[in-house]
Amino acid sequence: MHEFSVTSQIVDNILKEAEKHKAKKVVQVNLAIGKLTFLGIEQVRFAYKLLVKGTIAEKSRLVIKEKDGIVKCSKCGYEGDFKYEDNPIYHIPMFTLKCPKCDNTVDIIGGKECTIESIKLVTNEDEDEDK
Amino acid sequence: MKEAVKAAEDEVFDIELNIDILKANQRLAEENRKLLQKYGIKAVDIMGAIGAGKTSLIEKLVEALKDKYRIAAFKGDLTTTIDAEQIARHGVEVVPINTGKECHLDANLVKKALKRLDLTKIDLLLIENVGNLICPAEFPLGSQKRIVVISVTEGPYMIVKHPFIFTDADVAVINKIDLAKAMQVDTRKLEKDVKTINPKAQVAFTNCRTGEGINKVIEALRL
Repeated sequence: MHEFSVTSQIVDNILKEAEKHKAKKVVQVNLAIGKLTFLGIEQVRFAYKLLVKGTIAEKSRLVIKEKDGIVKCSKCGYEGDFKYEDNPIYHIPMFTLKCPKCDNTVDIIGGKECTIESIKLVTNEDEDEDK
Repeated sequence: MKEAVKAAEDEVFDIELNIDILKANQRLAEENRKLLQKYGIKAVDIMGAIGAGKTSLIEKLVEALKDKYRIAAFKGDLTTTIDAEQIARHGVEVVPINTGKECHLDANLVKKALKRLDLTKIDLLLIENVGNLICPAEFPLGSQKRIVVISVTEGPYMIVKHPFIFTDADVAVINKIDLAKAMQVDTRKLEKDVKTINPKAQVAFTNCRTGEGINKVIEALRL
């Protein structure tokens, strides 16, 4: 949904970091996107490709890890994935906020993140001295 | 002394960043929440599709509650202040928030709008989001309660088709119940749809033209 604006913030952050390290190139970017965000992986990739054009991250590899939602039950202490609705109307698995163990209502504690976990940079700080 | 070890040319560095892009809004929402709490202001975010009856609901809430609370309203809209003026006619302070082209309010816009109000003179803040059943769910504003308004004229599948927004809702208001028969919509089925996604959400049936069911919304909001 807001992939372009989110991805442009991602690229800004990457380039800022690369500049800080006087990098020559950004070769890889590792992202983690929660399944409860409204970010489509496909659209993030598309926006990324456009946004890195002409920058030192142009040929970088974008690795996206999808993170499951995590819920917690205050009654039985369950912590983990959602219970999913078994309803053929949904073409993608649709979760409910019922505890998979005790049917109590659960709270969402994870799956809403969009994190730049790490990046791989190429630097050549010694260029002058070595030659 | 031996020669210092230097990074070779074209050395690849791994750099841990852990920057969460969506956290920025969540952090601002938290700041808004604290600010509102400090002044003892109850804030309600009202979401829903275009034409669901968000503004009418606010008007009725204002009428029912204006003797009990000092009310202000934020009215999110793309470019006009038509709805904001409609709410202001009920004698409450309204800050219109024109998002321009954005499809939702975010915590930063709410933070700016809060600066326009004298927070010592308010007990209840009603925030009307931009008409949209998708995007507002991603952007918490810092309100204590979130309402989703759906109306029977949107058809029988509005909830199952837009499940995500209901996961964050405290109250689901099913509006225009007077038209349910003509629309051939079973309002009990709509209630069941909400409860399946989010058993915690309370459901109220309303007709925001006449005010029917408004007391149920007020009850659900504990106002």
